[in-house]
Amino acid sequence: MKWGMVIDLQKCTGCGECVAACKLENNVAIVEPKESAMGRTMLWMDLLTIHEGEYPRLRVRQIPRPCMHCEHPPCTKVCPVRATYINEEGIVAQIYPQCIGCRYCMAACPYTVKSFNWYKPEWAPGIRDTVNPDVSVRLDGVVEKCTFCVHRLQKGKEQAKSEARELRENDFQPACAESCPTGAIVFGDLENTGHRVNQLAHSPRATKLLEDLGTEPKVIYLKEVD
Amino acid sequence: MDKVSATPHQDAPLLRPIESPSRNYYIIMGILLAIVLYTGYVYLRQVLFGLGVTGMAQPVTWGFYIINFVFFIGISHAGTLISAILRLSKAEWRRPITRMAEVITAIVLAIGGLHPIIDLGRPDRMSHLFFNGRLQSPLLWDVTSITAYFTASTIYLYIPMIPDIAILRDRGVRPRWLYEFLSWGWQGTERQHKVLDRAMNILMVVVIPIAVSVHTIISYIFAMTVQPGWHSTIFGPYFVVGAIFSGIAAILVLMIVFRKVFRLEGYLKHIHFNYLSILLLIMSLLWFYFTFSEYLTGYYGHEPNEMRVFWYKFSGDFAPYFWAMIICNFFLPVLILCNRKTRTIPGILIASISVIIGMWLERLIIVVPSLANPRLPYPTGIYIPTHTEWMLFIGGVSVFVLGYMTFARFFPVISIWEIEEGRKEGAKTVAERVSSYMPDSGSTSAGE
Amino acid sequence: MNKKSIEFLQILSISLIWLLFTGIAVWIVTLIRVSLKLHDAPDASVGISIVAIPVFFILASVLTYVFIGLRKGRKEET
Repeated sequence: MKWGMVIDLQKCTGCGECVAACKLENNVAIVEPKESAMGRTMLWMDLLTIHEGEYPRLRVRQIPRPCMHCEHPPCTKVCPVRATYINEEGIVAQIYPQCIGCRYCMAACPYTVKSFNWYKPEWAPGIRDTVNPDVSVRLDGVVEKCTFCVHRLQKGKEQAKSEARELRENDFQPACAESCPTGAIVFGDLENTGHRVNQLAHSPRATKLLEDLGTEPKVIYLKEVD
Repeated sequence: MDKVSATPHQDAPLLRPIESPSRNYYIIMGILLAIVLYTGYVYLRQVLFGLGVTGMAQPVTWGFYIINFVFFIGISHAGTLISAILRLSKAEWRRPITRMAEVITAIVLAIGGLHPIIDLGRPDRMSHLFFNGRLQSPLLWDVTSITAYFTASTIYLYIPMIPDIAILRDRGVRPRWLYEFLSWGWQGTERQHKVLDRAMNILMVVVIPIAVSVHTIISYIFAMTVQPGWHSTIFGPYFVVGAIFSGIAAILVLMIVFRKVFRLEGYLKHIHFNYLSILLLIMSLLWFYFTFSEYLTGYYGHEPNEMRVFWYKFSGDFAPYFWAMIICNFFLPVLILCNRKTRTIPGILIASISVIIGMWLERLIIVVPSLANPRLPYPTGIYIPTHTEWMLFIGGVSVFVLGYMTFARFFPVISIWEIEEGRKEGAKTVAERVSSYMPDSGSTSAGE
Repeated sequence: MNKKSIEFLQILSISLIWLLFTGIAVWIVTLIRVSLKLHDAPDASVGISIVAIPVFFILASVLTYVFIGLRKGRKEET
């Protein structure tokens, strides 16, 4: 079982719904405007802006970028305390109580997907009530990143077990895939031929970011059709 | 009241700071202590409020603390070069310099070794390093090698100090129990000298690979990632050369300071400065060679990510620091030290301070530009250090000066017994050695 | 402080150094065992321990050699 994601750039409109859904689902801290301007915004799912060409043939694209969940993660290699590691199902996980905040994994990640809690996260009173009880809240000084909503995987597995059946494709969908209005984000088991991701991953439009680095990311992009 | 020996010692200037410290000494110690206490308060604020009080952010997640970590550990190579290598090569001019160098190493390693802890987001979880550490991570290699180097250099500082401690003990200097405790019953017998010599011979050989490994392993923290500007095979030797370079500069500055403050003109003579500054000149040329190779290969390959970091340093936001580094590390020292007329003590002081600044800038240029230019389209990072980071830097330097002054208060900064050994046997041993280089007398004689 | 207590302190400090270095060796071995259990590239850990642990023991041995050597080499005072 290897969880992976396919993002169809032809369908993606750059609306940012995935970014917002991810923040709400995972209790990602909201950062003050001054801090955000410094570069401390915490976005597990980020929207990258890519400029191609020059005026008048300028092209601006928005690409959703979660954690790549690489098969050969550069971040897990360098962690001194095993706070980030890759599990058997291919998810690169983050153990918040173990992290000592050395930020080596942040320096080593070539995709810059990791966020750091520079201060203790605080929620305004109204937002505090909407905090997701399934996801642990982080302290200041720890690194965090997209986990493919692994808490939903837990829930899905427990549900499947209680109903004495296998995990189905729709049991476990991360918040970004669930919220995408055009269905550009597809999630599932890359090794299961029945799942859509497996079929889409073999599409002739499939490409990966920074493929030459050998990290083997499990987030696959489908190039736009011109 | 104290039983300080009234007999003037031949090397009285070396004992004066210990037996009769001046009032200025206490005033300066007081000021330094105040700075260190304030630094402690600033660090406490960081622990309470989080690393947000620094200027770091995505993508520049490493800043002053890592820069100073590499910088301080780099200076520690002063001790090894002078002490171990010069002792190994039996250079007689090393005698007044070895102890000063070894003390630098011991103190600066302790300060540098603390810097990764200051950098941690959760220092309260340090025990995780001990219970579930991963030896696969370059950071743990660092922990091991710095611990090894710290213990080795402390032992290598202590063992040659034993005869001097015995001198202080015999002169009845207070606190007596300290010198009794540390002198290990030294009486200067022949057997004891043999033991000491053998131990020093083993240590000076063991210390050199440990020292080389320390800075190589620090470079691996950067070189083992795939980031542009970091993933370079030259980093190991480059860092070691840079460390020895900054170490010699630090030792020169200290020598000049002590010479002035303790009035040691009789011991630290022009020839010592001359030789060391020529070594500094050589290291400057070596440093330039490595820097040139590093950037030429990057530029010629023209890989896009490498080039972004390259231009950021050459003509982008970091250009002022980059070119200042080249001037401070190469042009200025070479210009001053090439010419005998300018290789005077003030000239050497300027060159050494310039090198120390330049090497600090080099650490800055290694750490920040690669982080500030991530591969994926991200707004290029800017890094502006805050009051917290500056204070911890100043505090680190203050701790160094404080530690050194404390050492100089209790122990002689120049090795008295080695100077004495030099006086008695130095000239003879060297004459014998040189005559052994000469061709044998008579071509057919059976050796007379 | 009399001679006896100073001697005791000296021997105590040497013992503490041996304790420290043994502790470091035990720490490294513990980390190797953890990496073996988790199949987390144990060869790196073993490689480091082969170099690091002997270095610490050489240092402790040299220190002990000097300590014992200096005591033995003392002039006999009765």
